[in-house]
Amino acid sequence: MIFTRFTDRSRMCIEAALDEARMLGHDSLGDEDLLLGILRADEGIAAEALSSLGVTLEGAREESEEMLSGALASIGISLEEVRREAGDAFELRIPDKRRIPISPWAKKALVEARKEMRRLGDNYLGTEHVLIGILRNAEGTAVRMLSRMGISPEMVEERLFELRGRAAG
Amino acid sequence: MDRKTKTRVDGPDDPREGLEAVVALRRTLEALEAAQVENAFVAGWSWARIAEVLGVSKQAVHKKHARRIRDRYPGETPRRKGRGA
Repeated sequence: MIFTRFTDRSRMCIEAALDEARMLGHDSLGDEDLLLGILRADEGIAAEALSSLGVTLEGAREESEEMLSGALASIGISLEEVRREAGDAFELRIPDKRRIPISPWAKKALVEARKEMRRLGDNYLGTEHVLIGILRNAEGTAVRMLSRMGISPEMVEERLFELRGRAAG
Repeated sequence: MDRKTKTRVDGPDDPREGLEAVVALRRTLEALEAAQVENAFVAGWSWARIAEVLGVSKQAVHKKHARRIRDRYPGETPRRKGRGA
C-alpha cells in the first residue's frame, strides 16, 4: 500500500496537497501539489528547508497559476481575457463532488520517497522523504516550478540534510 | 520551403510545451464551461435551452452542473420548459 509507514504529518501534507490541487483547478494531484501540501501543512524540516530558501506557499501558488497562464499564452490564449469574459462565475477550483486522481509524477515521487526512507535507514515515511522524492524527478513540474523561483533541487536537498543533521544532534 | 520543413517550423519547439498547453486548456475549458452555464442559469435560461446551445443532452448538462449551481443559488429554480429569459 502506497501510504504504509507514512507519519501523521505526511498524511496531513497529502490531504493538504489534494486540497491545493482542487483549489488551483488541477484535475489530478500533481507532484507540484505535493510540494504545496508540504508548504501548507508541514511543521518539520521539509517545510523549513523550503522556507529558509524563500519558497512560500503563496509564492508557489502564484507560480503554479503563472505556469498555467504561460502555457495558455503559448497557444495564443489570455487567461485574463477568459476570466474577464466569463465574469465572477469563473473559477478554476474543481467542484467538491469530483474526485481527482494522483498523477503519475506524484506517484513516482511517493515511490522515490519510500526508497529514500530505506536508503537513510529510517522506519517512518516523513515529509522530508516526500520532499526528496519530489526533487528526484528532474522532469517534474515541482522541480520546474522551483527552478522558476531560482531554486535547484540540490539547494533544497543540501539544506534539508543540514537541518536533519542538526536535529539528529 | 517543402512541406515537411514547414510543418516542423509551425509546430511547437518542444513537445512538452505543446502538451502542457493541452492540459492548461483542458483545465481552463472546464472552468469556463462551469462559469458560462452558471451565467446562463442566473440569466434565467432553462437547462434544456443551455443544453441545446452547448449541443449536448439536457441530462448531460444537468448531471454535470445542476448540483453545483443549485448549491450556490438555493432559492432559484430554472424554468422547466420554455425559452428562458
